[in-house]
Amino acid sequence: MEEALLDDIFAAILDGDIPAAPGKVQAALDAGLGPEKILNEGMIAAMGSVGELYECGDYYVAEMFTSAKALQAALGVLRPHLLQEEVRAVGTVVIGTVKGDMHDIGKNLVTMMLEGAGFKVYDLGPDVHPSRFVDAVVEHKPDIVALSALLTTTMPSMQTTIDALTAAGLRSKVKVIVGGAPVNDEYAEHIHADGYASDASQAVALAKALMNL
Amino acid sequence: MNARERVLAAINHQEPVGVPVDLGSTPSSGISAIAHYNLKHAIGKAHWPTQVYDVVQQIAQPGDEMLDYFRIDVVDVGRAFDDRPEDWYDITLPDGTPVQFPWWFKPSPQPNGDWEAINQDGVRIATMPLGANFFDQTCFPYVDGYPESFADLPKVMPLIHWAGMAHSPWDHAGDADFWEQLRARTLALRARTNRALMVVIGCNLFEWGTFLRRLDNFLVDLVMDQANVERLLDALVEIHLKTLEKVCAAVGDIVDVARFGDDLGTDKGPFMSPKTYRQLFKPRHKLMTDYVKQHSQMHTFLHSCGSIYKLLPDLIEAGFEIINPVQTIARDMEPQRLKQEFGKDLTFWGGGVDTRFTLNRGTPEQVKDNVRANIEAFSPGGGFVFNTVHNILPDVPPANIIAMFEAIDEYR
Repeated sequence: MEEALLDDIFAAILDGDIPAAPGKVQAALDAGLGPEKILNEGMIAAMGSVGELYECGDYYVAEMFTSAKALQAALGVLRPHLLQEEVRAVGTVVIGTVKGDMHDIGKNLVTMMLEGAGFKVYDLGPDVHPSRFVDAVVEHKPDIVALSALLTTTMPSMQTTIDALTAAGLRSKVKVIVGGAPVNDEYAEHIHADGYASDASQAVALAKALMNL
Repeated sequence: MNARERVLAAINHQEPVGVPVDLGSTPSSGISAIAHYNLKHAIGKAHWPTQVYDVVQQIAQPGDEMLDYFRIDVVDVGRAFDDRPEDWYDITLPDGTPVQFPWWFKPSPQPNGDWEAINQDGVRIATMPLGANFFDQTCFPYVDGYPESFADLPKVMPLIHWAGMAHSPWDHAGDADFWEQLRARTLALRARTNRALMVVIGCNLFEWGTFLRRLDNFLVDLVMDQANVERLLDALVEIHLKTLEKVCAAVGDIVDVARFGDDLGTDKGPFMSPKTYRQLFKPRHKLMTDYVKQHSQMHTFLHSCGSIYKLLPDLIEAGFEIINPVQTIARDMEPQRLKQEFGKDLTFWGGGVDTRFTLNRGTPEQVKDNVRANIEAFSPGGGFVFNTVHNILPDVPPANIIAMFEAIDEYR
């Protein structure tokens, strides 16, 4: 019974069945399953499979996005229960697209995939001034700050954001990860970031590695 | 062999005398206004105007003098319009670069430094944030869902900045005698240049879905709501075919290449599976390429960014002869692999030099090495027109552009 309910959640997220996913979570809650079990064995497990299917080329961005949206719908039902039971996230991330860059769809996908891996994510949106990253780090005390940029011309804002964290004395307290079309490992190293990920699936792997998960 | 003959030979898979070169014949094979300004100063031609013909991406139209200077082989018919000094006005970009905008484009600077594009009805259709170098779409008419009828689609499309702030010749599309003008001006252009002629027709399908619904929603629709996707695509094809009918009638016997657009790729692979492409897009792309082939002399060119290797067999069957920009650093897009597997069927218009790492951040020597390697991979037997992988952006040093042309000159 328990297994079947978790399988239903797993399948709804894997298939990207956005309309069905919240009901499957509610059914599991109604049957008395714990929110942490639902999160870990239903939802996080499903997003792990989505990541694997994407990595091996069976899933494309369209499928990954659809699964991520199904996850969001499911989390809408589960989140109050996670809060109530004080289920701890595996880590906390502050994420945003850097100053001057309005592009946030890739960043949104990373956000959803990180949530699907059990992270608590504070999303600051697009076009985020370095001082807002600093304020968010002070407020949320994240483990990781994730910076996104789509353009070669806005990528230097990653450097100024890292500089702002350093100037505020916060750089050693967080890991900084970077991603987006113009970024690569070499650039991440150049600006003294702690890591680079080439897509949303890799971003999850990187965040987990930095948390020693 | 003149410029046009070089381009046509390449498309016909014959090795031309000298590698043909594009700079600025499409809004994805050109040079940004800021890079254009810096380049003209570096070569001692400060008096050349920098005219921003694609205001969305802030792309300059290289003038005839620049085309001659760098020996460019192909031009866009759009340059036959807006050809009087009074069609342009002087303006200074937020970074201080003096340029010219077309008379009709009057963005509104905001107190926070952003520039907004407001249409005649007062709708904000695009924004260029402070520090950015092009306008991003801000209006997504179908973001909340599909309408029951697409009867209003022709009125909705100009709310998308690509259509509402369209580059020439389409900035004149509302003129009463536009189609007659297009023919007359293209004939005059044909008479005064021996370069190949390009017409940028767009006719995007996947991208129109993303413009109207927003990318994240439309990606989900491809998986979850294919019935509505097909309804929308049918409505778009109907509109596009009407445009193609007019384009073919007006200039189909003069112009050499018709440029379609549809960005189907990400860095890691297509947005959708080949199966989804086959089901939703391929038959509709084919309808449009068939029309062009049956009603004009024009060759079919598809602009699609990203890794589209997995879609190439289907894109060839869909009727595309030329692909651009050939994003060589994306997954599976290595020049040798593409040439070996698809060189007989496709002309690679692009892939000349990487613009993400090499042209903007490399040394002039690294640029030359990249240019030489790509030309040597793509050009044997024809099927190659040199073009940077997408536009030359503002952060590209002029010395690297000059190095690029010096390396190209070794092959022409």
